[in-house]
Amino acid sequence: MPKVTINGKEVEVEPGTTIMLAAQKLGINIPHYCWHPDLSIAGNCRMCLVHVEKMPKLVTACSTPVADGMVVTTDSPQVKEGVRGVLELMLVNHPIDCPVCDQAGECGLQDYYMTYGLHDSHVSLEEKVRKRKVIDLGPMVVLDTERCILCSRCIRFQEEVSGARELQFFGRGDHVEIGTFQDRPLTDPYSGNVVDICPVGALTSKDFRFKMRVWFLKSNDSICPGCSTGCNLRVDHRNGIIYRLIPRRNVDVNASWLCDEGRMSFKSLGRGKRLVKTMVRQNGKGLVEVNRKDAYLEVVRNLENISNQRGPNSIAAIASAMATNETLYLFKRFMQEVVGSSLIDFRTDDSYKLVREREDKVLRRLDKHPNSQGALDLGLVSEELGGLAGAIEAAKAGKIRALVMLFIPQMVREESAQVYQAISELLTLVEFSAVLTTHEIEAFAGADVLLPVAAWSEEDGTYTNYDRRVQLLNRAILPPGDARAGWEVFATLARISGKDLGFEHAGDVFARLAAETPGYNGLTHAAVGKLGVKLQQKAIGGS
Amino acid sequence: MFAKVKRERRVINVTEIQEARGEPGALETLKGMGVTLKHLINRARGDDPTIYYPEERRPYSGRFRGAHILTTREDGSPKCVACYLCATACPADCIYIEAAESPDPMIEKYPAVFNIDLLRCVYCGYCVDACPEEAIIMSREYDIAAYTREETVYNKEKLMRRPQIAQSGLGYRPIKIDEYRKG
Repeated sequence: MPKVTINGKEVEVEPGTTIMLAAQKLGINIPHYCWHPDLSIAGNCRMCLVHVEKMPKLVTACSTPVADGMVVTTDSPQVKEGVRGVLELMLVNHPIDCPVCDQAGECGLQDYYMTYGLHDSHVSLEEKVRKRKVIDLGPMVVLDTERCILCSRCIRFQEEVSGARELQFFGRGDHVEIGTFQDRPLTDPYSGNVVDICPVGALTSKDFRFKMRVWFLKSNDSICPGCSTGCNLRVDHRNGIIYRLIPRRNVDVNASWLCDEGRMSFKSLGRGKRLVKTMVRQNGKGLVEVNRKDAYLEVVRNLENISNQRGPNSIAAIASAMATNETLYLFKRFMQEVVGSSLIDFRTDDSYKLVREREDKVLRRLDKHPNSQGALDLGLVSEELGGLAGAIEAAKAGKIRALVMLFIPQMVREESAQVYQAISELLTLVEFSAVLTTHEIEAFAGADVLLPVAAWSEEDGTYTNYDRRVQLLNRAILPPGDARAGWEVFATLARISGKDLGFEHAGDVFARLAAETPGYNGLTHAAVGKLGVKLQQKAIGGS
Repeated sequence: MFAKVKRERRVINVTEIQEARGEPGALETLKGMGVTLKHLINRARGDDPTIYYPEERRPYSGRFRGAHILTTREDGSPKCVACYLCATACPADCIYIEAAESPDPMIEKYPAVFNIDLLRCVYCGYCVDACPEEAIIMSREYDIAAYTREETVYNKEKLMRRPQIAQSGLGYRPIKIDEYRKG
């Protein structure tokens, strides 16, 4: 394998590796605009100029493969002068409208100007070539051709990744600009990615436009709740409000991409009214707000009564594939150890069968629940109960008298009307029902106790994706009002019932879950880490 | 080390001082009345040290940091482009901005809401220094007392147009603005 020396440090890399990648292996960052780890090499921005010994001119690090014995310098005065010249040329026609540009704060031009530029422009604002601004490119993207540095990342993304091929260069010389044919809106379901990969402010997000300056935002790593693919992403939020979701690079799952539906999935937290108060049905008054502890006591008391009268197997539980592994695990433990019933099932419909089915060739999968695989792994399938449909039959036959239900509406697209109809039917059939949910939904009108739970991004936990990769979600914002993480609610219910399961943190729950569940052998939140862990053992259940 | 140093106590004997000065006699009383008489005569001649606030005000320098002003374009719209740099620089976190799409495509962004909580403000002038558009400057206005806290939160309209500014004059602001005014 070739050995190269970069800035005096030696590194051995695979043959054919570019200088850019070899340098990154050493932790040396070479400035670049057009190069992107998940796109082809274009070499058109010329920012990554480096000096290679015995080569007459500076060469581009992104497109030059290493050779054995190569000696590369990235920080000599000659290289810096070269990069500065390239940057100055790029800024010749730049409008410098940073105050109104959403990219400000995370802009490649700003960053590299501070590191390499710091020059005075030779071109006055009046002399600059003016181009078109504020062009509406569909539901996700706004185009400003004046700020574009023509790196072609967006064009390559659409050619190589999404296959939509809508963006292209137009014009010649100084007047080249990117755009779509006759400014037609982008119909690509992955169009949001061109905003992320644009190193400058040419392509900006329509949804995030002018909402917040990026330097105010705090970030937490999380996993997309949109489907069973489980794309890695970053939640950007401030003061308890989520402003945007940005894909996080994970070569084994989503590379650097995220679909538009997933990117906008956080909006569905605000779809309909959030359930913020615990509610208990009181005689003649309907559902009344009560404090959390009273509601928990009400649940425990009713479940005990029915269990004493009809036996524990008259109590059924319906879980949700939207919940984290931690919540599902404690739900199962609560039903088995505290209630004493084996009737727990997460199947509200047949979507779990599609957990591995692709919707398109890029990322999306047909199961719009992020944790169906986790629910299957945890064995939340009861043939005796037979899912939501089976529960209705059993309730009609009088076998089921009480119901504990965890229901979180799916975040991408609408939950089907049949599911809601089935839920509301089941709730009227049973004597007592406790529903843990995130939103005030009409179908829950027949519930006896409503317990608010934390939604996605409001709790720590893990999802297991279609590929049996366990991935970690970090809490970004606090749940509203009385809402608590699902696992916390079950832990409290167990404690009130006099059977303390002894869990304090989501991490504790996961450690126990991993010790007991086949395939999760001894994992912890720390071991799962940023990029997740693929489980080795063969999948249980599912298709 | 310090503990070992014994400080000598200074004892002041009051009676000794009094004896040295002598008893206050009639002369001392007359001296005091002389001072009063001097001011009485000065006052009668029109030389009055008292300022009749709020009818009369002390002049302050052009660098005085009083309540803020949002400068306007010729058409009366705010110069501000809602870049949030003032809010970013503000150590008191007293500036609240909501940006929106401007109807003018050449401007793009404008502040739909721009509030400054003048009770929270520490009048440091960092916002003026941070502003890239010379859109926020300060006045020499210092009396912002009000009956409710809500009144001391100045909104965009109040920051752009209020009659007091004309009286008090401009305060801390970039030098360029005055150069522009001169032509």
